[in-house]
Amino acid sequence: MVFEIPPLILNILINFAIGLIITVSLNLEVGIAGIPQFGRVLAVIIGAIVAAAIPGRLLALSMGLPYGADYAFHLYNFKIVYEINSVLQSNVILSIGVLLFTLAIAAIIGGLIGYACSYPALRLKEAYLGITLLAFGDVVQTIAWNYDPLAGATQGVMVPDVFGWIGIGPGRYLGLILILLGLGLLSFIFVEFLIRSPFGRALKAMRDSEVAAKVYGKDIVKLRAEALIVGGALAAIGGALWAFYAGHFKAVTYTRLTWTFWPWAYMMLGGIGNNLGMLVGVFAFSVIRTLIYAYKTELTAFIPISPQWFEYILVGLAIIILVLFRPQGLFPEKPALTLPKKEIEKIRQRIKKE
Amino acid sequence: MIDLILKAVAYSSGIALTSAGITIIYMATRTFNFAHASMVAWGFYVVFALYSLLGGIPYYYVVFAALFSGLLGVILYYTVNRRLLRAGASTVTLMMSTLGVDLIFFAVINIFADYLTEVHKIPNARYFVLELKDVSLGTIDGASVRAITLISTLVVIALIVSLHLFLTKTKFGIAVRATIENTALATVLGINPERVYVLSWFLGGALAGLGGGLLSMTISGYPAVGMTIIVTMFAGSIVGGLYSIFGSLVGGFLVGLSEYLGITGLSLAFGGWILAYRLIIPLIAMVSALLLFPEGLGGIKFKGFSLRLPGRTSSKELKSEV
Repeated sequence: MVFEIPPLILNILINFAIGLIITVSLNLEVGIAGIPQFGRVLAVIIGAIVAAAIPGRLLALSMGLPYGADYAFHLYNFKIVYEINSVLQSNVILSIGVLLFTLAIAAIIGGLIGYACSYPALRLKEAYLGITLLAFGDVVQTIAWNYDPLAGATQGVMVPDVFGWIGIGPGRYLGLILILLGLGLLSFIFVEFLIRSPFGRALKAMRDSEVAAKVYGKDIVKLRAEALIVGGALAAIGGALWAFYAGHFKAVTYTRLTWTFWPWAYMMLGGIGNNLGMLVGVFAFSVIRTLIYAYKTELTAFIPISPQWFEYILVGLAIIILVLFRPQGLFPEKPALTLPKKEIEKIRQRIKKE
Repeated sequence: MIDLILKAVAYSSGIALTSAGITIIYMATRTFNFAHASMVAWGFYVVFALYSLLGGIPYYYVVFAALFSGLLGVILYYTVNRRLLRAGASTVTLMMSTLGVDLIFFAVINIFADYLTEVHKIPNARYFVLELKDVSLGTIDGASVRAITLISTLVVIALIVSLHLFLTKTKFGIAVRATIENTALATVLGINPERVYVLSWFLGGALAGLGGGLLSMTISGYPAVGMTIIVTMFAGSIVGGLYSIFGSLVGGFLVGLSEYLGITGLSLAFGGWILAYRLIIPLIAMVSALLLFPEGLGGIKFKGFSLRLPGRTSSKELKSEV
């Protein structure tokens, strides 16, 4: 009963799902909490490293295969992961367990990273903070690119295939998309609820006026740290999912351009601070980027330059035009409306009765 | 050893120039210029392209590199930055806008490199080592002394002297300082701040191009070279305190020197594998400067001598005076 989806749409949907998780986490920190997070790549790469280094090693350990520094050596790695995959393929419960376990670990470590980021976030302001977070991201990036025993560095490592049980061929991709889209939408809904909760409103108050928020008894230190922890955890989950989807982890593909600046562009298009706008921003950019990538060869016939650079120009132009002419994005953040007075009176009456 | 120190000095001078460019732009317009990465890379490519096409000595073309990147800075100001400054955008928005510009500049460098490869049949346009074309001035203890160390040091000294004379002796220089100090008051006195902004973008860009052109003689060039060393340039600027041009020159020099010598020392102690982590040194310098000494080197006062421009007081000093 498997029906075929064109690979183009597959790619768009997968880029959309992962991009949504990362962008929503970025929007929570930038749009809602007002922290200039220029180091998004940090949590993403940590999540991907967790997916690349931890589940494979644990499975290798339980199966009696090498799990130390040898695990990440590229000549052994693909053989070990091949063994692991054949086990995972036949064991659905183990596969799902490994997936959930890895996501949980990624979220915890991502949260810790977020907490570490709150140290400069409390001491620095605006652009200074942005530069510091960017530097944090670059440090971890440099280590991941070069430290072999962790996750293979330049050679990269294979990531255990936790989706092997879905089957092979088109059916696999259908299942994969459903899972990834499900998780993407789940994180979107989670952040949406978070924004509407008292916590989210406190964050907005802090963003709009720190002093006013303090006057009303909000703990700025705690709020900042919590926003960074939730954002870091979400982004790490996104990174781990991307590594699982790609089936291969290569640190050089995690650059500040792809995982910090592009999500910023998605967010700016959608409208900073408006969660619903993220859906539109991520979707529009996923479609454009996937189309450029897919029609590379056809494009070269029309424009004499390599489409790769065309993509850069497009993203750059999008950022500039948005900043200049529509800084609020396509869907500006709407003021949160309070309940009408009648409703509040009703609630007050109800509370009195109780 | 002498060889190494000479090379480190040449590298650090280049970084110092680019850091000063970042600081000048930040002081005048509150903009952290990410496009500096590509402006520096353009410095590399202008020198490389002109040298490959016209021959001669690479140093002839460093001036053109400076002019070209200065022009890029002016274009950036008129197309993007001016409008945002008028609208009173936040520093984060200003930073983000230069990032968009950087992506475009970066793409254009890549297209230019492709153009050099395909049309002019220059095989190494995507990765070149101009260092090999440098002029040798002689030898000390068997180590050959290349012209780059002398030239880049002279350029830095000339820059310090001319900037100091410009900012303290000329009318326009004093107007520049007044605008940086208090834009509103300067406007009241009939100074047009936009002229100061254009000048700062031109100077900042020119320093990026100059630094890039000189750096091309110490490190190998490729389109993403600016993206790699921008961290070191920002580190130099921030260690220098971001509010002092001379502080940024010292900061850039120190960061470049510690990066170059530090990583070589570490590699001698621990082995060559550590070379890959060289970027961590400027990053640590930058983060610790931000967290521990937010005023940077410009904030330190040596007996009566400050790296700050005369007449400029920090907010801290003002408060203590009040």
